[in-house]
Amino acid sequence: MPSTLASPDYKGFIEASLLRRMSKILRMSVACAKDCISQAGIEQPDAIIVGTGLGCLLDTEKFLNNVLTIEGMLPPTSFIQSTHNTMAGQISLSIGNHGYNMTHTQNSLSFEHALLDAMLLVDEGEQNVLIGAADEAIDFLSEVSIALHLNLQQKLTSGASFFMLSREKSVTSFACVKDTVALGLVTNAEKEISAFLQKNDIPSNGVDLLLFSGSSNGLNAQVNSLLEGLSLEKARQVDYLSLSGIYPTASAFAVHYAADKMKSDRFIKTALICNTLIHSNLGLTLLQSVEA
Amino acid sequence: MDNLKEDLKTQIIEQLNLEDITPADIADDAMLFSDDGLGLDSIDALELIVLLEKYHGIQVTNPDEGKVAFKSINTMADYIHARLG
Amino acid sequence: MGVRVTGFGIVSAIGLSVTENLLALREGRTGIGPMRFLDNSDSLLVGEVKMSNAELETKLHVSQKPISRTSLLGLKAAREAWGSNQHNAELRTGIISATSVGGMDRTEDFYKSYLADNHPDFAKLKTHDSGNTTERIAAELGISGYINTLSTACSSGANAIMLGARMLLQNKLDRVLVGGSDALTKFTINGFRSLMIYDDQWCRPFDESRSGLNLGEGAAFLLLENEKSIGITGNKTIGYVNGWANAADAYHQTASSPEGKGATLAITNALTKSGIDAAEISYVNAHGTGTKNNDLSESVALKNVFGEHVPFFSSTKPYTGHTLAAAGAIEAVFSLLSIRNSLIFPNLNYRNAIEETALEPVTALQTEMPINAVLSNSFGFGGNNSSLVFSNHE
Repeated sequence: MPSTLASPDYKGFIEASLLRRMSKILRMSVACAKDCISQAGIEQPDAIIVGTGLGCLLDTEKFLNNVLTIEGMLPPTSFIQSTHNTMAGQISLSIGNHGYNMTHTQNSLSFEHALLDAMLLVDEGEQNVLIGAADEAIDFLSEVSIALHLNLQQKLTSGASFFMLSREKSVTSFACVKDTVALGLVTNAEKEISAFLQKNDIPSNGVDLLLFSGSSNGLNAQVNSLLEGLSLEKARQVDYLSLSGIYPTASAFAVHYAADKMKSDRFIKTALICNTLIHSNLGLTLLQSVEA
Repeated sequence: MDNLKEDLKTQIIEQLNLEDITPADIADDAMLFSDDGLGLDSIDALELIVLLEKYHGIQVTNPDEGKVAFKSINTMADYIHARLG
Repeated sequence: MGVRVTGFGIVSAIGLSVTENLLALREGRTGIGPMRFLDNSDSLLVGEVKMSNAELETKLHVSQKPISRTSLLGLKAAREAWGSNQHNAELRTGIISATSVGGMDRTEDFYKSYLADNHPDFAKLKTHDSGNTTERIAAELGISGYINTLSTACSSGANAIMLGARMLLQNKLDRVLVGGSDALTKFTINGFRSLMIYDDQWCRPFDESRSGLNLGEGAAFLLLENEKSIGITGNKTIGYVNGWANAADAYHQTASSPEGKGATLAITNALTKSGIDAAEISYVNAHGTGTKNNDLSESVALKNVFGEHVPFFSSTKPYTGHTLAAAGAIEAVFSLLSIRNSLIFPNLNYRNAIEETALEPVTALQTEMPINAVLSNSFGFGGNNSSLVFSNHE
């Protein structure tokens, strides 16, 4: 099935003077962030935190090409917009925000690290933190995945998701982030998942919705059996990569998806997002419905 | 001279990715860096320096020189003529 | 409320260890010179680490290749900061590194052969992403679990230190290596050239005639430990991280605001957090890149915060070059060296004050003053401004 990236009319979100320079990842991020801010009804968040695995690939590729092929002056725009903090910077610029501004980049765990930072800030007393993730695909990535024999089960895609994390529950709240972890160079994922559920007092039948990152790309047998042990019917176990495609921060899409499901199905009180997109990296995020 | 000005307008639109603007929208004496004109900024100024080298073979080594030359299409055309003698 | 620093390590243009860096700082000796390692056909002035990749790989006994220069430099500094510490199941140990280029040096090698259709080695691209840079350092040190990378351009290194301190105070970790690493690349050199802020001469921070920066490369790490960790390791305290803040300038994609809004906020909030009065700051290690824009904006911010009583200040970038994401970490090591050795390092290549602000940096090594608290600034692209406060007391 051919897939194309859904593109809203960005002019509704971003000033034309900024838009003309923006690559795909910047348009997605700024538009998404602004929509999120308006939905939450919060004019200025106390902080803006973004996670990105590979950053602004289009501009990086463009500038690298120029460096290696052009003699003389190079156009600076793609260099300026190649840095990982461009998304967070452009969001602060477009809404005039002077708060904490951070960018985490830990490949498949970039979103979870950003979320952890946001939760730290809330614990430190901040009221509203805008937190999101974005990554963009370029054609060259597909070439790399073939050359490196990655045997990807889903298409490489682009995506951005943003959330407003607030200290206090409000009328616009629709899910609560109970806990999240991001673990690198993990040797025993099964043990870590059990410990995470135990720490949060979640019994094996306490998860109502499980989102996982593909069954055939890295989940080992023990993790598979542990997830099966959550005794969930098939419809409540969703391979989110089959919906989002593959990009380093796709787990942010999964959080969005779970939160949406909670809004529409009140029997879903607890959702677990299990991110093993890269075998040695484990990201776990536990969401609870606001009524729970 | 007039061909140069028309060429400059097309080159500027392409170099700066001015999506919704056509050459006819840019008056010869419009202030490029003023909000009443094109509302360009310091990054655009650098892109215009690249444009001069790319299309006209003119090197600008001092960015301050650009500030004077890039006021309008008229001043850009004058600058190019002066540099190329 | 300070967080203890119990280890530090550094590699920069002026030395491959803390001792070597301190010696060069004392002697006023720059590490900036014509390019030798990245491309010996270019005579541009850069602050290179005086060791090739091959030498670094051998010296560090790297177990797995390919590995980026950014990882190699980071590993060198992280090993020195980690010292003889042992792993301990009781202690939750993490690493937070900062980088802006990641493995771009290897990607450039790859891309050259790719464009020439000359058997490009795609495996080199596995080192491209910034997260991999840190993972490789963690793997060599045997650290697993909390492994994170920040990338906020030139303020990244300072932000890694800030995040580490917060993680300890919130009791998420017991000890954490924090710092940053960036190798020189054609990508960044040409990038700053395209912005017309790369100086072909020696960079001259805070001088009226300044006209840009010289890039450098390097890495630095600090080991931060909580009381529980120190109870087990018995490590001695080198100094404290007392205050930190990060603020967005929200003015322009590359330029800092003329009134220094983000910088002023970052400095003010870091001082407030530290509980140390502005008058108690003995020395400011400025961001001072040597660009027209940064140095003016930073000078204005210093005057905004300190009024008529701006403390002794200098930029150490004329020694190391601007090391981008490593700068905040490298300058944190310099700040701690200043406190421990009662030294203020001179701002090389300075002659005349900036007309608008008339601030004069320190131009000769100061050895007679007690240094109790130091402010270190790191300001970056995209309006990312961070300030840290270090001291000799909790």
